[in-house]
Amino acid sequence: MAENTFMGVPREKITWAPVIDYSRCNYCLECAKFCPHQVYEVREEEPRLIVANPTNCVVFCRACAKTCGPDAISFPEKSWVLEAIKALRQEEGGK
Amino acid sequence: MAAKYVILPCNGLDKEAGCLARELALKMAAATGSEIICPVLYQTAPSRYASLLQEGSLVVIDGCATRCASRIAANNNLKIYRKITMAEEAKKRDYNPGPDWRVGAGAAAFVEDVWRSWQPVFMEAEAGRVPGENAGLFAGPLEYAIHRHDKFIFRVPLAGFYFNENDCWVQVEGNRGRVGISDYLQQNLSDITFVTPPDPGTEVEQFGEMGTIESAKAVYELVSPVTGRVVAVNEAILEAPELINENPYEKGWIAELELTNFEADREFLLDGQRYMEVLKEKVADFNAGK
Ligand code: SF4
Ligand code: SF4
Repeated sequence: MAENTFMGVPREKITWAPVIDYSRCNYCLECAKFCPHQVYEVREEEPRLIVANPTNCVVFCRACAKTCGPDAISFPEKSWVLEAIKALRQEEGGK
Repeated sequence: MAAKYVILPCNGLDKEAGCLARELALKMAAATGSEIICPVLYQTAPSRYASLLQEGSLVVIDGCATRCASRIAANNNLKIYRKITMAEEAKKRDYNPGPDWRVGAGAAAFVEDVWRSWQPVFMEAEAGRVPGENAGLFAGPLEYAIHRHDKFIFRVPLAGFYFNENDCWVQVEGNRGRVGISDYLQQNLSDITFVTPPDPGTEVEQFGEMGTIESAKAVYELVSPVTGRVVAVNEAILEAPELINENPYEKGWIAELELTNFEADREFLLDGQRYMEVLKEKVADFNAGK
């Protein structure tokens, strides 16, 4: 997992991960059940669900949001993240 | 006369979107002479609707992302002909259902508008879907690379196909591109039960949404490998989504786009050989993660 990259850019540098709106979330845990990448973590204390491993999230995947009934999951703006990736690629290539 | 459509709406009485689903079902039933299935009664006494379901094509109307109507259909192995999700229709129209479950004037106008946009599909006028007149333009892949893992075999076409790391491909001929999902994603999703391709005429961006695919497991958003305008969708997969499971690179293609920025898009795409490397890692990671 050490050299995890997306389109040639180290994954840690890309800010793509789900954001939970706790005012909407009803802790049904459908999202955590759905995602196979251990992005979410279920806990005993409040909030009972957290985005524990944001860099495990597949860049541009938004699949878990489709399983969320109350529509409590959001993601950063795709175009914005893509611009950032482009810039990072240039940096990496320019070294 | 037998009903042409059988409508299964969501029963979300405690949710605005659920109430809107019911309204749309009523409107559609009146306009098309269709029958409505009560989701509650169906679950307690399915035989009550057995003959009805044999006669007509099933239209599912979901309220919110919980998709309870779709789930009822999936759990009972019902073949869905068309699906409408009120929450998505609302998003498209910037309509905010609000907290009132009773249908006021705003909601009525909204439902009317949703019905107007779907009417052509059900009244069999111009369905708004353009048949792929260039069917002969795209030849099937000539050669596949193969990766074996246990009893699984993953295929990747080598020439003429480009992939993104989200497991979607584009096959390019001049300024036309055909898009679909990879063999890896297809096997991951297992039996595909429903496909919503992007509407013809939609402008899609690279890494933007190009429709959804559903299996018994979940709904999956497709991430477009290219930028362009949708000029055709694969009609065949609307009737037979299992074509994607059979061959995701040929009969199971999803849409055709007029490419508007391919030279730039290509920079972010992998050819077959490089996608194969990504695929091998994914297979290894997935199995290690279990
Ligand atoms: S699916 Fe939505 S409501 Fe359910 S736990 Fe996840 S964020 Fe919360
Ligand atoms: S977006 Fe995809 S990878 Fe990320 S948490 Fe959701 S399902 Fe998992």
